[in-house]
Amino acid sequence: MNAIHVKNLTVAYDRRIVLNNISFEVPKGSLTAVIGPNGSGKSTLIKALLDLIPYQGRIKIFNQKPSLALNRIGYVPQYFDFDRTMPITVREFLSFISPVQSKQASQVCREVKIDSLAHKLIGELSGGQLQRVLIAQALYKNPELLLLDEPSTGIDIAGAKTFYEVIEHLNQEHGVTILLISHEVNVVNKIADQIICLNTDLICDGPPQYALTEKVMHQLYGPNHEIHQHNHQPHP
Amino acid sequence: MFEYLALPFMQRAIIAGLILGALLSLLGIFVVLKRMAFFSDGIAHASLAGVALGVLTNANPLFVALGASSIFAILISWLERKTKIASDAIIGLIFTAGMATGVVLLSLKKGYQPELVSFLFGNILSLQWSELYIMAGLGLLIIIYLILRHKQLALMILNPDIAHANNIKVALHQTILYVIIALSVVLGMKMLGVVLVSALLIIPVSTAKIFSQSFHQLMAYSVIISELSIVLGLVLSIILNLPTGAVIVLTGIGIFSLTMAGHRLKLQFFHRQTG
Repeated sequence: MNAIHVKNLTVAYDRRIVLNNISFEVPKGSLTAVIGPNGSGKSTLIKALLDLIPYQGRIKIFNQKPSLALNRIGYVPQYFDFDRTMPITVREFLSFISPVQSKQASQVCREVKIDSLAHKLIGELSGGQLQRVLIAQALYKNPELLLLDEPSTGIDIAGAKTFYEVIEHLNQEHGVTILLISHEVNVVNKIADQIICLNTDLICDGPPQYALTEKVMHQLYGPNHEIHQHNHQPHP
Repeated sequence: MFEYLALPFMQRAIIAGLILGALLSLLGIFVVLKRMAFFSDGIAHASLAGVALGVLTNANPLFVALGASSIFAILISWLERKTKIASDAIIGLIFTAGMATGVVLLSLKKGYQPELVSFLFGNILSLQWSELYIMAGLGLLIIIYLILRHKQLALMILNPDIAHANNIKVALHQTILYVIIALSVVLGMKMLGVVLVSALLIIPVSTAKIFSQSFHQLMAYSVIISELSIVLGLVLSIILNLPTGAVIVLTGIGIFSLTMAGHRLKLQFFHRQTG
């Protein structure tokens, strides 16, 4: 069964086409990465999947219209810009999402390694800590699909490593389907089951070893991009 | 001093002050969080059109201004979502259009207009029972809404996309927030006037932010600081025979300055202790 089914999706802002007639599927339980240069329509794709913008074509999430599937989707945005002097604790921020039972809340916090941060103010967190809090908010409603929009932007190397460990754990141990937008081609080459390459059009779609060819990388990023090959084993 | 409390106008002023203090300080948290102080100022000025219409038609200017400001708020929210005009430019357009309409309407009425002076500088001591009933009813309704919905509102302001993904109707809640800010600003104008009404939205929350360690503390301390400013300001204005609205604002500024100074001293002491 597919978690996401996209058919002939076109999105335009005014007269500028951002996504042009793209079609793809994301299998349930997979970790799929979306790559492409800036302005290639990656974030627009996530906004369409969340029913945040008007679009042409068909999107089905777990066989439902996106607006009806929101309860099954967790979302981590690319930017989280807020007044950092506003005193909001991590626990309070998570309580804004939904009144969940404390046992489940504690479990989510342990999973993403933020259980020691509950009483810290979100304005005082490091980039990596804040990103994990944002994942926790996305997990609070126990989603079957997690949409992550460039989640490692602004995080240091150690923070990014912890972050990707959490993502892999959620996917492999809990079977959460993950759609991850990233610029880190070498990282997604290592962890993803499937890669979708966008540059307004769909350039390629498939397992990393087949999708990430030199020709595709050249089409996306120009001549000077190198991929480190991994002995990738798709998740069962 | 206590004989003043037996006077009906003083009782009305204290009741209205306490309700408005809680209302504006709670609402101020969302105004500051969303960085929309200009919106409240713009709405306050634009509501001159409603005040003028009330004066011209011999209706209660406060009630007409409440209706006019709600329409302006819905219009701003709609234009923000449906056009590419920057938010501050939209507010500027509505602000000046409302003011200009008010000036034109007022020019049609001959003679001295006390409502205009009251609109500009506020006069809570002139509050009528009918106005107090509306103020109390509407004010308490909005306070209850804010207490029940503060989590959804805070999330919507922090990140509308996350709020949408959590099934919060962002467009609807944003419009409701704009309308209740507009209504509250007009209610507050009776006490502080158009020039000073934003003060009670900004000062209590700015003071409480200095020492609050959580959002719930911020809500509680903002209300306490606001009520303290209003009661102290009312008493001081009577003792010193000075304009009530201005004294309330200066009292709030005084509490803010003392809190800020105390916080800096505490930090210096802490740094000395830790070397």
